[in-house]
Formats: sequence, C-alpha cells, structure tokens
Amino acid sequence: MSDQPPESAVSLPLPERIGASRPPKSSTLEEEVTDLFGQLRDRLLRYLLSIGLPLQDGEEIVQEAFLSLFLHLQRGRSRHNLRGWIFRVAHNLALKRRTQAGGSFRSPADPAEASGDLLADPAPNAEDQMASSQEQRLLMAVLQAQPEQDRRCLALRAEGLSYREIAETLGISLGAVSHLLTRSLARLARASER
Amino acid sequence: MKLRDSHPTREELLMAADGELSAGRAERLQKHLSACWECRSQTRELEEAIGDYVRLHRRRLDPMLPPAAGPRALLKAQLSELASSHTSRSWSWFDLSAWRRGLVAASAICIAIAIGLLTRWEWAARELRPDAPGVPVAIPNARLTPGVAVATSREEVCRESPPKNKMVPVSVQRRVFQAYGIDSADPGAYEVDYLITPALGGSDDIRNLWPQSYAATIWNARVKDALEDRLRQLVCTGALDLPTAQRDISRNWIAAYRNYFHTDRPISELSP
Repeated sequence: MSDQPPESAVSLPLPERIGASRPPKSSTLEEEVTDLFGQLRDRLLRYLLSIGLPLQDGEEIVQEAFLSLFLHLQRGRSRHNLRGWIFRVAHNLALKRRTQAGGSFRSPADPAEASGDLLADPAPNAEDQMASSQEQRLLMAVLQAQPEQDRRCLALRAEGLSYREIAETLGISLGAVSHLLTRSLARLARASER
Repeated sequence: MKLRDSHPTREELLMAADGELSAGRAERLQKHLSACWECRSQTRELEEAIGDYVRLHRRRLDPMLPPAAGPRALLKAQLSELASSHTSRSWSWFDLSAWRRGLVAASAICIAIAIGLLTRWEWAARELRPDAPGVPVAIPNARLTPGVAVATSREEVCRESPPKNKMVPVSVQRRVFQAYGIDSADPGAYEVDYLITPALGGSDDIRNLWPQSYAATIWNARVKDALEDRLRQLVCTGALDLPTAQRDISRNWIAAYRNYFHTDRPISELSP
C-alpha cells in the first residue's frame, strides 16, 4: 500500500451519501462533534503519539480532523461509522504532516528513552518492580523493531478499532490486518517467554 | 478452515478472540477448542501478549496526554466560527447578477463596519476598569496589580500537577479592597483573585492580587480559569514560553483569551 496521503482531509473518498437531503442544524452538529471529541480525543491522540507524531502536531491534527468531521456532517454526508472515519482522516493528516516534515518523526518510544520512571510498575515489591520494568523495556525493544505497519495495526486495535476499521484507516486488506496482528503478537509473546 | 481435521491457525485463533469470525466458523472453532488443550494454550498466549501490549501502550502514552479541557474549548470556539461562516455562505449568492452582488457586498461592508464599531464600544464599556467603587472589575488596574511571578522556568511550573489557588488571607483581602477603593462597597460582591495564577508561577504578592467582581460581566472568573488551563497546557507542551504566558495574562487577560482561543467572546457565551 502507498503511504501517500490524500491532498486534504475533506477530499478523502467519503462513504456514500445517506438521504443527503437537508443538512442538519449547526448547533446540534456542534454538540454532536464536541461529544464525539470527548469520547475519541484521547484514543486518537494516543494513536498519533504512538506512530511518532510530536504532541503539538498531534493536538493540531485532532482539532483539524474534528473540524473536517463537522464539515462532513454539515454537508449531509454519511454518518456510517464516524469513529472509523475520524481515525482515517487523522491518520492521513499525520502522514501528510510527516511528508512535510521531511519524512520522519522522532519516536516517542525509543527504547533508550523508555526509562524506568516511565515504565515503572506500581508494584509494592522493589524486585518485582525492577523485573517488570526490565520486561517492559524488552517488550518495547521488540515492538520498536517491528515494521511500522505492524505497530500501527497494534495501536489501532488497542484503541478499540475493528479489523475493518483498521483496514480502512491504513488502506490495506482485511486479511492483511489479521496477518499483521498475528505476526506482531507472536513476536511479543516470544519476547515475554525469554 | 478444516477444524475437524486439523488445528486452527494462530490467525484464526486471534480472529476468534477478537470476534472477527463469522458465527458458523466461530462455533466450529469453539468446539475444537473445547477438545484441544494445545489450541487453548495458544489462545491464552495470544491473550497474554495482548495484555502485555495494552499495558505497555497505555503506560507509555497516557502520561503524555494533556487534559482535554483546553483543546475541547478550542474546538468549540472553532466550530462556532465555522458554523457562522458557513451559514453566511449558504444563501444563493451566485444566483444574483453582478451589479446586485456589488450592491449587496457594499451594504454588507457598511453594516459590518457599523456593527463592529457598536460592538467595540459595547465591549470597551464592559471592560473598563473601575474609576469608582462598586463598578464590576473585569480587568485589574495595571498600576495596582501589574502581576508578579515567582516561578520563571517551565520545569518549575510543569513539574507537578497544577496547584489550586490558595485562599487569600482576610487581612490581605482587606488591603486589596482598600487599594481599589472599594472598602465602603460590599466586599462580598468580589473575589480576590490571582492575576498570574500560581499554576503559571504567580506569586502571593499583593501586586498579583485584584478584586474580581461577581457582578454581571461575561468576562468572569470561570472564563479566566479556562484561559489559565489553556496557557498552562501550551507552556507545558513547549508550545509557548512561560514568560510570554505570564506577560500576556498580566497585561490584559481578556485580550489574551481572545488571542489564544481565537474568539471575540467567551466560549461559554457562544455555546448554545
């Protein structure tokens, strides 16, 4: 699949119109979009951070994605699976931003940065805590060594997306989603056994 | 998938655990699992790997997420702006002939200028500092309350969760009221507030305290709280430096609100 994002969020191929007769009232739409923001903002921002977006860029993209959603609904377009829609738009905006930034983001999850503080387990026993944070560092290293698409699949699934939503967000087939998830979980499972 | 003859693949086990198999396939796989220890143990391994990953994902990223209140307020403001601009565009402008469009545009500009002037006068009147006791105070007197900060670095301010504003001692409150000449008015109508909030490194110094009115001004303490949250978030994410935040809130917090929320009125006023 190509990593090339579309020109803009609103020019994405959108789902078919459902009874696109009269656009809904703006004040109700504003409330609806704000409510959705309340439900999805953390999930979306976490996903964007997990793929290496800096926080400031992530916050801006979340805003942009929800403004695009507002326009999408205001034009009377499909309300089918708005969660999948918003993730897809945010993902494409993130790729676009990455292209503008020269093709790479710093990783927020560099194993060297993954200090004990960040990954410390709140276990009461110091030995357990050390073992747990060592295990997490190992898992982090294994995770970082995985292909980018595998990590995206894992992060999207962890944020509650179905395989179909993941496939649509990343522009890959359903079969590819289950294959990549199985492959990456098997690697993580092997790392835990060591 | 020939579950009767062979074991399911790991992929099928994962799809079953994720509820991604069709009902018929899921049922056959469930039957196989009930008879097969090996496949059950593989399913458990997958579940453990999922658990490990989710813990790692959340523990690594959750501490990086700033509170949602500021971004939510910003979104609401932008949505209001978008909704109003869309409404103004939605009538059939292109149905008009060229000269009519010119006429309408000229009239619209005149009306906009008139409304702008009226609005400015109204807002200027509402934001005036008090020259006499008892006048609602929306922004403090810069001579009496220039704003004083104790913390000067981002690390100092962002190291811990934001401190709550401490109760100002009654004796200090009295001095603030006296300085503002409202000792004869009802002090119960005012709250002595910090100009630069302690969450942005503001000091307890009397030059950082002012009597904020409970009276009917739309620029009230709740609106200022939203600005304080937004500025702290920007400072702690590195998008704004602390001295700029302290300077902007102390010079004219209403102007700062308009600037940082991209709105002319408090967002609570814009909400339906």
